[in-house]
Amino acid sequence: MNDSTKENLKELLAGFMDSDAAGRAVQDIERGDRLLRDFPAPKPSQNVIAGIKLQMAAASRRQHHATVQHRIWAAVGVAAAIVLASVASLKLPEQKSAEQTAGQYAVVIPDRVWDGSDTTSDITVLSAELDSLEKEITSTSVDETGDNSNLNVGELEMELIETGGNLWKG
Amino acid sequence: MPQNDTEQIIIGCKRGDEACFARLIEIYGNRCFGYFFRLTGNKTISEDLLSELFVKLVEKISTYRGGSLDGWVFAMASNIFHDHLRFKQRQTRLLDEHSRRLKMQPMTTEGDGPGDVDKMQAALEKLDDDVRELIMMRYYSQLSFKEISQQRHEPIGTTLSKVHRGLKMLRELME
Repeated sequence: MNDSTKENLKELLAGFMDSDAAGRAVQDIERGDRLLRDFPAPKPSQNVIAGIKLQMAAASRRQHHATVQHRIWAAVGVAAAIVLASVASLKLPEQKSAEQTAGQYAVVIPDRVWDGSDTTSDITVLSAELDSLEKEITSTSVDETGDNSNLNVGELEMELIETGGNLWKG
Repeated sequence: MPQNDTEQIIIGCKRGDEACFARLIEIYGNRCFGYFFRLTGNKTISEDLLSELFVKLVEKISTYRGGSLDGWVFAMASNIFHDHLRFKQRQTRLLDEHSRRLKMQPMTTEGDGPGDVDKMQAALEKLDDDVRELIMMRYYSQLSFKEISQQRHEPIGTTLSKVHRGLKMLRELME
């Protein structure tokens, strides 16, 4: 069965031994090959071959089915990735503008309110802040009059009563 | 086999063409069966291994990237035979263990009967496992010494020497 014309055995063997030894080795190999040809191995039965053909056809169908399935899943994966990327690209600008607005308000709102999650306490804190601001404005406006800067509260009250009286008298 | 024929068969097999699979069996069926039979000495096991080989060929045909088809097929056949050997070794260990427990004689796992073992088979079994496999690979695959040595990752001189020694011994055993 062996195709000895494929290579020049003697030339090949001469690379490893002298010419005579190579010649003898070629003869040994050729005799061995002839012996193997003279005592051939049995052949598989036709039933076995037919069975193998059926198995190969089934394996080919399985393989084809698996390839199609693989391609479908790959296409689904790519489609899902595209959809996710599109959704993400649409959501991103909205999220950015929301973040910016929140950032602007965050400058005005006190930190403890901004960080807190308790709404009632937040309102109380804000009210307190507003009251203190009102008081500050009142005191500032009183101070700004100039003439009244040196008057105490009692004198102010007297002046108010007098002003009120003059108003009713006409 | 002309290169053009091989390419057509491979293309057809990749497409799932049953006629091309049939052609593959025509080319390699007897050769691979002979290879398995001379290595196992058992017809039933050889048929099982042959069937396993061709199913694997169908599954792996898409990975074939050119080169010698003979080399590709017989490399796979060699792997299947070695897998079988490993399985047999595990089985033998289990059987030995079992027989030791039951104080029985070890059972043989191979051999369809004395009629199946011819003179050649008996002589081959006296050779070293590696040498026997090498001789069978060369004879049935029709690969050159250079191709076989490349496949076995050994120097060509080693392959030549093993085949020469093995065939010489086989002739002596047969005489």
